[in-house]
Amino acid sequence: MNNEALFQERLTRIKKVINLEPVDQIPVIYMGAAFAPRYMGMSMAEYCADPEAPMNVTLATMNKLGGFDGINAAMAGRLTPILPALWLSRVAVPGRDLPPDSLYQVQEAEVMTPADYDVIINKGWQAFLDSYLPKVADLVELEEAQNWLKKNMPRAIAPYREHGYVAITANPVTTPFEYFCGGRSMAKFFADLYRMPDKVQAAMDVVLPDLIAQGISGARMAGMMGIWVGGWRTASALIAPKLWNRFVWPYFVKIVNALLEAGLTPVLHLDQDWTRDLARLRELPEKKCIMNPDGMTNMKKFRELVSDRMAMMGDVPSSMFAAGTPEDIYNYVRDLVSLFDCRGLILCPGCDAPINTKPENMEAFIAASHEYGKVA
Amino acid sequence: MIDQLATTMADLEEAMVLKLVQQRLDTGEDPMMILTSCREGMVLVGKRFEAGEYWVSDLMMAGEIFKQVSGLLSSRLKTDAIGKLGKVVIGTVKGDIHDIGKDIVVSLLNAANYDVRDLGVDVPPQKVIDVVKETGATIVGLSGLLTVAFDSMKETVAALAAAGLRPKVKVMIGGGSVSEKVQHYTGADAWGTNAQSAVSLCNQWIKEVAR
Repeated sequence: MNNEALFQERLTRIKKVINLEPVDQIPVIYMGAAFAPRYMGMSMAEYCADPEAPMNVTLATMNKLGGFDGINAAMAGRLTPILPALWLSRVAVPGRDLPPDSLYQVQEAEVMTPADYDVIINKGWQAFLDSYLPKVADLVELEEAQNWLKKNMPRAIAPYREHGYVAITANPVTTPFEYFCGGRSMAKFFADLYRMPDKVQAAMDVVLPDLIAQGISGARMAGMMGIWVGGWRTASALIAPKLWNRFVWPYFVKIVNALLEAGLTPVLHLDQDWTRDLARLRELPEKKCIMNPDGMTNMKKFRELVSDRMAMMGDVPSSMFAAGTPEDIYNYVRDLVSLFDCRGLILCPGCDAPINTKPENMEAFIAASHEYGKVA
Repeated sequence: MIDQLATTMADLEEAMVLKLVQQRLDTGEDPMMILTSCREGMVLVGKRFEAGEYWVSDLMMAGEIFKQVSGLLSSRLKTDAIGKLGKVVIGTVKGDIHDIGKDIVVSLLNAANYDVRDLGVDVPPQKVIDVVKETGATIVGLSGLLTVAFDSMKETVAALAAAGLRPKVKVMIGGGSVSEKVQHYTGADAWGTNAQSAVSLCNQWIKEVAR
């Protein structure tokens, strides 16, 4: 079978899973942004500096390991210059602020002020970004990185398909909550939700359409079937229900519906614990989205409450890849397959396989996925 | 029977808490009594969290309010006359610069009347050893969000042992991706994924020492 036929077969299989139809083999998906360079002997400094490096080293990793049907978030371009525009925070970069082979890290601090909500409300999101981003980002690098993506996508990620892999997403979209939380810092932003809820909500309402438009534009530019819908500080375990119901969930619903209208598959990359509100996922259109948790959300509850409407991609915990054993991974994959009874399941590292993933654990993940994931 | 200030604190009514504190200060009341009321409120916050009535955002808001109260009272408190429950040395381990989780723990431990030495982020093992020796702390809290923190936690626990301090201190680890497996990996005594569990652990350990 040539690689294009392999790609089509894998794509069909993944679409069947999303549609909760039976498959012959549970898809196995790669996710490990920082694992790939470490595994291939490339320093994180090099990985962050060269826009071609993420795709090249990730593809090389997938080829070397073998056994993957695709990749969750297709790596391409330079991430670290762009991260400040997503987090509204400064980012410590390996080779510049950190030792060359360490992981890039968001330096969350209170840079955005309560007065910035007024700027957003009165002047709009872009006007705010124009004044704010110089405080957290290197604008020259940011523009270069964005222009590189505009010029090189989808060419830059075409090799995934040429090697038979399905790239499910290549760009993110998230809620205004995550942006503001990054810019204000978590403690200050959470306090804002209690102290000035109306103002925060008004600013969120201004920002949301721009974020949706940007997300759709990015996915179309990359030619992707899906889009990564991120949630980390918005997790149920972190936020009181009355705040979550007002500042989180309505925005997720609007984003998901807009993405679906644009013909995209939302991949709900939900870090931390969302167990409390799992039943709310039933409000989203059925058989259209993929839940993509990180190992902290209760999968038994997901199976019970949501799995008749939505597929799950995950969720082998990143801590297990780093600190566990191959036996731990084998058992986790076995139990996951058993829990889902081979339906509506895509096997994937939860969040992602971290930089210090033990190679034998990644190999165990692939082997276990093929052993237990073979249906027919 | 707790007073109105404690109840208001527990209900996270920030403006009212600050007003009541100011009123009681204006009447010449001992600032330590005011602080005690607020601490009682924080204990209630912790209980509500453990009962599933409060969430992390509520803990953080309580910490914000308590910090303001402490700011109002600090200049009036000659010394903290009530003996501290215990000494805790805490930090985000080497290689990790995330401080949010650690800061919430510090805030809640302060409110729970612990003497907390916060070492900040990217803390090397030797720094922990030095400060444990200096303070005589019996509890060490190691925080980290990234999985690379696991190895630093392990190194720190091993360094405490090599320095002969391990029998004298309990070590708790915390952070988004820690688990029982990570606790075993690092050699720590306990783990938690939320700040309130750190307070509960410290209370438990201090009681064990007192027995």
